[in-house]
Amino acid sequence: MCGLAGVARARPQGVSAQLLERMAAAIRHRGPDGFGLHADDRIGLAHVRLSVIDVVGGAQPMANEDGDVRVVYNGEIYNYLELRHELQLRGHVFRTRSDTEVLVHGYEQWGEGLLERLNGQFAFALHDRRTASLFLARDRFGILPLFYAQRGGDLYFASEIKALFASGAVEQALDPEGLDEVFTFWAARPPRTPFRGIRALEPGTWARWRDGALSVRRYYALDLATTEAEPADAVERLDELLRSGVRLRMRADVPVGGYLSGGLDSSIACALAAQGSPYDLRTFSVTFDDPQLDESAFQQAVATQLGSRHAVQRIGGGEIARVFPDVVRHAETPLLRTAPAPLYLLSRLTREQGIKVVLTGEGSDEVFLGYDLFKETLVRLFCLRQPDSRWRPRLFDRLYGYLPPQARKGDFWRRFFLNAGSPDDPLFSHLPRFRLTTRIRDFYADRFRAGLGAFDALGELRQSLPPGFMGWSPLGRAAYLEIVTLLSPYLLAAQGDRMAMAHGVEARVPFLDHRLVEFALRLPDRSRLRGLREKAILRRWAEGTLPPAITRRPKQPYRAPDVPAFFAGTEPEYVAELLDAASLQRTGIFHPEAVAGLVRRCRAGLATGVGENQALIAILSTELWHREFLGAPARERAPASSGALGPGASIAA
Amino acid sequence: MDQQTTGPAQSEIVDRARAYVRENFLYMRPDWTLGDEDPLLGSGVIDSIGVIELVEFLQGAFRLAIAEEEITEQNLGTLAAIGRFVHEKCHANGSGGSVRPRQVA
Repeated sequence: MCGLAGVARARPQGVSAQLLERMAAAIRHRGPDGFGLHADDRIGLAHVRLSVIDVVGGAQPMANEDGDVRVVYNGEIYNYLELRHELQLRGHVFRTRSDTEVLVHGYEQWGEGLLERLNGQFAFALHDRRTASLFLARDRFGILPLFYAQRGGDLYFASEIKALFASGAVEQALDPEGLDEVFTFWAARPPRTPFRGIRALEPGTWARWRDGALSVRRYYALDLATTEAEPADAVERLDELLRSGVRLRMRADVPVGGYLSGGLDSSIACALAAQGSPYDLRTFSVTFDDPQLDESAFQQAVATQLGSRHAVQRIGGGEIARVFPDVVRHAETPLLRTAPAPLYLLSRLTREQGIKVVLTGEGSDEVFLGYDLFKETLVRLFCLRQPDSRWRPRLFDRLYGYLPPQARKGDFWRRFFLNAGSPDDPLFSHLPRFRLTTRIRDFYADRFRAGLGAFDALGELRQSLPPGFMGWSPLGRAAYLEIVTLLSPYLLAAQGDRMAMAHGVEARVPFLDHRLVEFALRLPDRSRLRGLREKAILRRWAEGTLPPAITRRPKQPYRAPDVPAFFAGTEPEYVAELLDAASLQRTGIFHPEAVAGLVRRCRAGLATGVGENQALIAILSTELWHREFLGAPARERAPASSGALGPGASIAA
Repeated sequence: MDQQTTGPAQSEIVDRARAYVRENFLYMRPDWTLGDEDPLLGSGVIDSIGVIELVEFLQGAFRLAIAEEEITEQNLGTLAAIGRFVHEKCHANGSGGSVRPRQVA
């Protein structure tokens, strides 16, 4: 995995190497192994490389024989060997062993149709000199990032927003609507970002820029329609797809390790990796001193069974607060949880131990219905069918087992869910979460709130839903919303790619092999969520492969301490600095008095609820984000991870 | 106005509960007018963790024990409901009032 950046000019005025070098330097952490750029009168392409496949021959930008098609690319095409063979049969001549060259010849052969043939995680920019156009594309689920901004007819694009700012041509300003979406969904919904004028290319879409105009098209759409009955060979088919997905993701010229959370999904990925790895498998886990968050016993059980060389990143009192400013800088967005921070530290440990590719378990909870939110949806529907029932609402007490027991039972707890919205609302499944999250809005400064006008994040989401949405089952709708509002823009981004790539680690996601996703999403709901038992078919498959303690273990969501990370021990200096009334006044997003009230409760140890924890992290991370990106022009601030581009720099003109 | 002398007046309970809710749950909305009959849950004032805090406050401030089955919307759903519920409990128990309720920061 790597980083890319570049510029496309509306007029043939050239692109300077210095400009491209600045952009590339801002994302140097994504590709510490090499650097290359190409510039002509209209197009500039820059690339920082993490060498994983064809370490010697895979340098980028990479062109075809006559230079008509040239690409910079971040990602992995896992079926590149099969595609390469197919293209060779059609007469294409390959000069390297890299998957990058498959993009070049595949585009020559199939044009945009190439994307449907790719099995992988990718974002790339391809200059097609024949049509004088630039082609941008992003993988189906948004595993890898790609941002762009249009300025004066020119297009600036990059893997991370900090590279756009480093160009000096892209305005650094906040987008209130993007922020409001963060405080509703946990992340701005692509194409929106928290920055004004900066767009994220949506997962499953491509864009073509020509003569100063950009058009965006979708090539992949989620389909959540399920079959009536589970196919007789469902477990066998699942077995094939899991094994194939992991086997493809073991393709690399360097050792592939695994992140082990202690849950079912990452254990499956690591177990299959151990079976297919030519090396001793290396596994990596986060452990917490707080026993309520810690899963080390389960991690250790799996590591022992797999015989992996296991390393742990321990999270004690001060680690999260120490790295949180760096986490926000890499995430490029306000956060509602500190959960990315331990993963930032984990990728550092992984890299220090010499591993630069890991498998992770992301995506399984969405397609196999693992989250409590899916159970909650079923229970709410069940209760609303007989609103007078006294015993049905008691089922709510069985949800969210990781919360304090006294907080998740009783009349108030149940009514929170029952009064959250009507089943006719397309967003029914997510209304309790959205309602809880949007309590952050209570802290808005009056002027910021006024600036939002009539903006309605939920209304826009309703408008964006695909035509067949209401025809899907309630769980299908819930899974769709989970994928588009949380998985793609938050879990795979701020908590996924950004934290891994902060230290040049590539995270591969076997559960998001599109063949497996499509298979799982077509299964009847009850194959996945049977009663209140989540991921039923996956557990059936895993019996015999993993320890029973893992296959029978209820889902425990990955969590990290939020408010206590900053207030339980020594409070970091930046907390008081950023949450000071004068500082908040300057930033203008949150109401200083309201924040003072929250900080008082945090310091007194009273802010124990989800709402206040989210609010504190949201406010603190927003102020860090503002200071990092909007405090001074990027060109005046040297990113900590940049500096000289180092050896391997080359320019092809 | 409740004139009984064996426990806190209902109006005092309501006022102290209002002050507590304002201080701890409505500090971010200083302009919010919290009426006696305004729902505390439906309006998003208090979440389920907040209910625990509120119960702890009421137990400490009015020297009473609230059982789990008493934590209902009927008893705690509004300031007025809290006033009625706590008042009734104090008087039924014969507790409260003789000792000045402790101040909660």
